[in-house]
Amino acid sequence: MYKALSDLLLKTEWWRGLLAKLTIAYAFGSLILSISVAYFTFTIAQDQLIADFEESALIQFGENLIEARTGLAALPENSDEDPETSSAIINSVDEKVKHTATSDSILVLEGIGVRMGNRSRREIPEAQTSLIQESELSGMYYKFESEKRYIVGTRIENVNGFINADYHELHVLTELDETIKKLRRILIGAAILSGLAGATLGYYAAKRALSPISRVSSAAREMAAGNFQTKLDQEADPDLAILSSSFNEMVDKLRERVERDQRFTSDVSHELRSPLMTLSASIELLERDKENLSDNAKEAVELIDNGLKRFVQLVEDLLEISRMDAGAVQLQLTPFGLPEFLLQVISHSVGTDIELRHSNRDRNLVISADKRRMAQVLSNLISNAKKYAGGAKSISFRRIGDSVQITVEDEGPGIAIKDRQRIFERFSRATNDAGNRGTATGVGLGLSLVAEHVRLHGGKVWATDRIDGKQGSRFVVEIPVGEIFDTGEDLA
Amino acid sequence: MSTRILTIEDDEEIRRVVSIFLQEEGWQVSQAGTGEQALEIFADKENKVDVVLIDIMLPGIDGFEVCRSIRKDSDVPIIMVTARADTHDVVAGLEAGADDYLTKPFALKELSARVRAMLRRARTPEAGDLERIKVGELEISPEEGLVTKNDVELNLTKTEFKLLVELAVQPGKVFSREVLLEKVWEYGYFGDGRLVDVHIRRLRTKVEDDPASPRYVVTSRGLGYKLQP
Repeated sequence: MYKALSDLLLKTEWWRGLLAKLTIAYAFGSLILSISVAYFTFTIAQDQLIADFEESALIQFGENLIEARTGLAALPENSDEDPETSSAIINSVDEKVKHTATSDSILVLEGIGVRMGNRSRREIPEAQTSLIQESELSGMYYKFESEKRYIVGTRIENVNGFINADYHELHVLTELDETIKKLRRILIGAAILSGLAGATLGYYAAKRALSPISRVSSAAREMAAGNFQTKLDQEADPDLAILSSSFNEMVDKLRERVERDQRFTSDVSHELRSPLMTLSASIELLERDKENLSDNAKEAVELIDNGLKRFVQLVEDLLEISRMDAGAVQLQLTPFGLPEFLLQVISHSVGTDIELRHSNRDRNLVISADKRRMAQVLSNLISNAKKYAGGAKSISFRRIGDSVQITVEDEGPGIAIKDRQRIFERFSRATNDAGNRGTATGVGLGLSLVAEHVRLHGGKVWATDRIDGKQGSRFVVEIPVGEIFDTGEDLA
Repeated sequence: MSTRILTIEDDEEIRRVVSIFLQEEGWQVSQAGTGEQALEIFADKENKVDVVLIDIMLPGIDGFEVCRSIRKDSDVPIIMVTARADTHDVVAGLEAGADDYLTKPFALKELSARVRAMLRRARTPEAGDLERIKVGELEISPEEGLVTKNDVELNLTKTEFKLLVELAVQPGKVFSREVLLEKVWEYGYFGDGRLVDVHIRRLRTKVEDDPASPRYVVTSRGLGYKLQP
């Protein structure tokens, strides 16, 4: 499972596809766009949040400062001498100042120290203390024990006419910080989501935009399968109309050409058959009268007869191959019992003694195939063995899943590994291991026809050594068993 | 009265050599070079034709047309000659009414075997050979060469009749194409199964109420046919 997936991802190079490219481009574009939107949203929102906070902090500070100024004016000149009065005044101010849950007041009395609130002087940064001596009001952000804070303060000169007081308000910013962090998280999430949405949208948009191309490619596939009736609908889009009309034009031209080729083949076939018919029929008439001929004439008739038979076979084979090249061959699939078929093939091959072998399980095997062509496949293999390997010794078959393997074995010299592919090409003949071309005559079309017929059946054929260790070659034909219909018409 | 064979072939050389052969076999031969000429000869009641040998590729009206014209009012055995075995020509020819076919170049021995098989089929079976067979609304009388459906006589060709009789010998038994080819056409194992298929189809159009869903002549597992009792 994992391997299949990694093969798909690594070996197929899916990202090279146009659809993948467009989808990635869409995803990337929308990601960039949403990241920038999120970034600006974040910056503006953060600034706004801070500005709002500062504004309300300053308003609160201003109000509290008035309370502090008024209240503290009553402080005695020397607080040390009257600590109770001082404490009472400071406490009453402390009660009057208003605070949020996160803010506190810090009052530093010159020469006396911190009063009011439960904060220590340590919590006031030194910069703040020195800044308020220079200006009326100072506010600053800072960190205290890794806590984010804001402090605003001012110096009240001669608060009671005698001493100076520093009044600060301290805000712990954890909440604001959390809010900003949350905002950031939400915006990042939104950016990713819109990136994904962009990818999805891109995929569908690209698919839609590419649908004419996929229509063209499926039409092209149909054509490759030999269906020239395929036509593309005229596209409404002017850019695509050119594509569809030129494609349709090409289909028409190709169809004309294929039809012309087929007609030519059919005409040639007819033209060749007529003189061959006259010749072979005349020879047959002569042979009936053989007794009245001289010995030489008798031999001449035999020679003509043999030559003619080979000629007829060659013409048949060539025509069959040209029909295949023209894609004009249609298989006539009929169901038949394979054991009986092979027995019949064997009994029709003259002068050979071939054994048929199969397992008991396969004794009633029925396959659906073109009987005439399969008979030609086997008789070609048998006559090939006869020409080059002293005749076939056995034919066996066995069913493997949805296929059947039919094997023809001989005890000849075997086929060199380098020739095992080549022998199935047209006009080629195997060399035996000694490198001799062999003395047999014949045209090298038989095995190429075998290969073509088997291929038409959706199968394959190959040659190997015998598996029982004996010398000789082994031809294996593997074709699908095919569908056996229960009822209905058998011909279209 | 000796057997007369009408050979229709536009190639004069072939026509001559085939005619010589057929005459040597002891048959009378009428020759035609065109379809029109053939139909004229066929219409001549003085010289009744027993077997027609017809080349499909003819100038003027083609072999299929000639076949159909002859079939309109005659069940004379027709052998057609085609250029190729694997084209639609064979099926089209059989559907036009031919009983059998040969592909060029054919052996003369094969031709005479085909003609003899046809003549045997055309001969009425010997009396007492077979009993009258009743299957549903069909009644087959082998010795008279008659088939009736609801007492109405059906117009079958000799080949169709022979095919029906072979199936009727054992109603319900499945006959493979190979067996039917041997019994009706006298072909060996490698005969063309389409002969059977097309004739079965022709037979169905004549004996079935609905040839598309046959009641009598039924396909069995795609392997063969049977007569449903």
